[in-house]
Amino acid sequence: MTAQGTATVSAGRGEPLVVLSGVQKHFGQLHALKDIDLTVKRGEVVVVIGPSGSGKSTLCRTINRLETIDEGTITLDGKALPQEGKALAALRAEVGMVFQSFNLFAHKTILENVTLGPIKVRGTGRSEAEKRARELLDRVGVGHQAEKYPAQLSGGQQQRVAIARALAMEPKVMLFDEPTSALDPEMIKEVLDVMVDLAEQGMTMIVVTHEMGFARTAAHRVVFMADGAIVEENTPEEFFTNPRSDRAKDFLGKILKH
Amino acid sequence: MRFIRTKAVVATVGLALSLAACGDAGEDGGEATDVDVAENAADEFEDGTAMKEFAESGKITIGVKYDQPGIGFKGATDDMPVGFDPEIGKILAGSLGIAPEDITWKETISDNREPFLQEGEVDLVIASYSITDERRQIVGQAGPYYVTGQQLLVRADSEIETLEDVAGTEVCSVTGSTSLENIKAEGAKPRGFDTYSECVDQVLSGTVDAMTTDGAILLGYAAENPDELKVVVEPFSEERYGVGYSLDKPEMCQWIVDTLTEAQDNGDWATAFEATLGQSGVETPEPPAMDECPAA
Amino acid sequence: MDAVFSNSGEYLMAFGLTIGLFVVSGIASLVLGTLLAVMRVGPVSILNKAAAVYVTLFRNTPLLMIFIFIFIAMPVLGYNFKFVEGVEIAGYNVSAFFFRACLALTLYTSAFVCEAMRSGVNAVPLGQAEAGRAIGLTFAQSMNLVILPQAARAVIPPLTSVLIALAKNTSVAAAFGIAEATATMRSFTNDNADQRIGIFLAFAIGYVVVVEVISLSSYLVERKVKVAR
Repeated sequence: MTAQGTATVSAGRGEPLVVLSGVQKHFGQLHALKDIDLTVKRGEVVVVIGPSGSGKSTLCRTINRLETIDEGTITLDGKALPQEGKALAALRAEVGMVFQSFNLFAHKTILENVTLGPIKVRGTGRSEAEKRARELLDRVGVGHQAEKYPAQLSGGQQQRVAIARALAMEPKVMLFDEPTSALDPEMIKEVLDVMVDLAEQGMTMIVVTHEMGFARTAAHRVVFMADGAIVEENTPEEFFTNPRSDRAKDFLGKILKH
Repeated sequence: MRFIRTKAVVATVGLALSLAACGDAGEDGGEATDVDVAENAADEFEDGTAMKEFAESGKITIGVKYDQPGIGFKGATDDMPVGFDPEIGKILAGSLGIAPEDITWKETISDNREPFLQEGEVDLVIASYSITDERRQIVGQAGPYYVTGQQLLVRADSEIETLEDVAGTEVCSVTGSTSLENIKAEGAKPRGFDTYSECVDQVLSGTVDAMTTDGAILLGYAAENPDELKVVVEPFSEERYGVGYSLDKPEMCQWIVDTLTEAQDNGDWATAFEATLGQSGVETPEPPAMDECPAA
Repeated sequence: MDAVFSNSGEYLMAFGLTIGLFVVSGIASLVLGTLLAVMRVGPVSILNKAAAVYVTLFRNTPLLMIFIFIFIAMPVLGYNFKFVEGVEIAGYNVSAFFFRACLALTLYTSAFVCEAMRSGVNAVPLGQAEAGRAIGLTFAQSMNLVILPQAARAVIPPLTSVLIALAKNTSVAAAFGIAEATATMRSFTNDNADQRIGIFLAFAIGYVVVVEVISLSSYLVERKVKVAR
């Protein structure tokens, strides 16, 4: 494993924020996550890549317990993930999540999508929540769409709203589960720009993606997964120019040819 | 007319009484008696009459109640209904030369008596069928062959003693029945059920305060549960049971009246009563005088 | 139809009672059925199974049997719900008969409401629930704020069918001490055997009107929900 490498790469950043240790997960016969150890520090941007079926999405979803784990521990800011109920809900509020398929609330306007969490979970007043929501929508470039319903927006716009919705909770860490995979090519950039912007402002991010460009420009560290295990982790530059494992070489060989 | 005596069902009144004394609920509907079956009955009737048809074919369909002990009752495993109404049916069939075992019995409920007659589903309805002017508009009703009156069945410990006491209480009977409306007029809350037995259960369980219908039926139930139930108040209505027939066959009226008058005179009527309704302990009443048939 | 016109007060009261049964057991069924649906889709396994057993039991039992059980069997066992007669609502004492009829109708109908609701909930993509949870909504909040409002749309047509069935099922109460429309029709025909067809038509029209009002309301609600999209 590359524990030492991790330490080196992460040096200079904050204390550990998300820590997975010895995490195991099975889907029936399939061993989806194999003994995962991963530490993400405050302000760090970690990109998780790997072939499909390698467990990277599952890994991402275990961090806010949308997937339960069989063994091991996950801590957020020093606290173990609660099992169920209100404590778990409170934890999830601390973790922003952006889905591949946006998952905006279809029956609510863009503005309502962004204010729902702050009002219902945080107890923020409506006017304050709306003010903050409009700022966030402006920041991701869809401020003028606030009164529309999700179905009236393009995919790229919807995904930017989803990012704003997550940010409205002022999360400690943002999880991105293949945020651009469901987008038409011309819309990918508008979403990545927002993400790059976010990274530059020091947000802690765990990003599962196939966008190697984003990994190169914005990531502090790349985690390469295959068959449910972390095979290799390194700085983007090292990883892309000088992969150590055969699986990583093979994977990069396939995607970079095109 | 010449008659022979046949043993339709081998059962004596004495046996029936002993069974009733054992409290067997299925038997208190009464027992079948011997009836007269006319020989060569077809010769007695004019061509083209309904009676001639019945007598020649040897078949008749009679609608009776299956759920009124004493009047018309048929247990799930019984072959034939028993009670005063079926006895009347056997007397009428007998005059046509049709033996009791050749009668086709059909259950009629209060709701379907007129349609069954109008559609020819049954030839006669003898089913505690009160004669009313409205009913006589659409079906024939010959009789009355029996007159009874509405009374109340209550729990033995009930405080209802007079008709005035029912005001504000809940009283059950069969949904849509005249009895239910009469009791409503007395200020009771009417509670209609599908069958008398369900209604009796309501009284027994204390869910309603009383059951009301013709005294004859109530006496049958009281006899089943003498420790728990009693019949109270004098009859406060007059129900004149008639034999229903189709208005398409008006000639049947006179035949019914004549046959039943004869049965009243020769004691068959009293025998039928004693074997059925009489078992609840009431004395055999004087047979009622029957209405004139409408002019054809 | 003379019998109906000259007793129009009784006719209207009978349908009043039919509508009363429908409204009370309709509301109770919607509440109970929704609760059961939430239990069925919820994360607690024991509630999940309890709701499934309830639905299996009451959806597969004929309504008449439920009526017989509540009206005939339970009083024998000592449960006759007479205690509700002490309850006074707006000056009227609740009758135990009305209560029992509503209970039977609700037990039966709520199983169907549950299944209609569940189909509606299942029609909402899983991602909606995940997104709700991801922003920190509790299960109850995510149900109330995200899933059920969206399920409502998919649920209106099947729910309308369930409610129409309920409106007509109230007629079963006719045989259990309730003088609602069907019982009153039987009483009318008993008195006026010569007007059978007219009386039948008058009552059939009454039911048609009641059901038409239900389907029209459902249509209006459905349209409103669509506009809100």
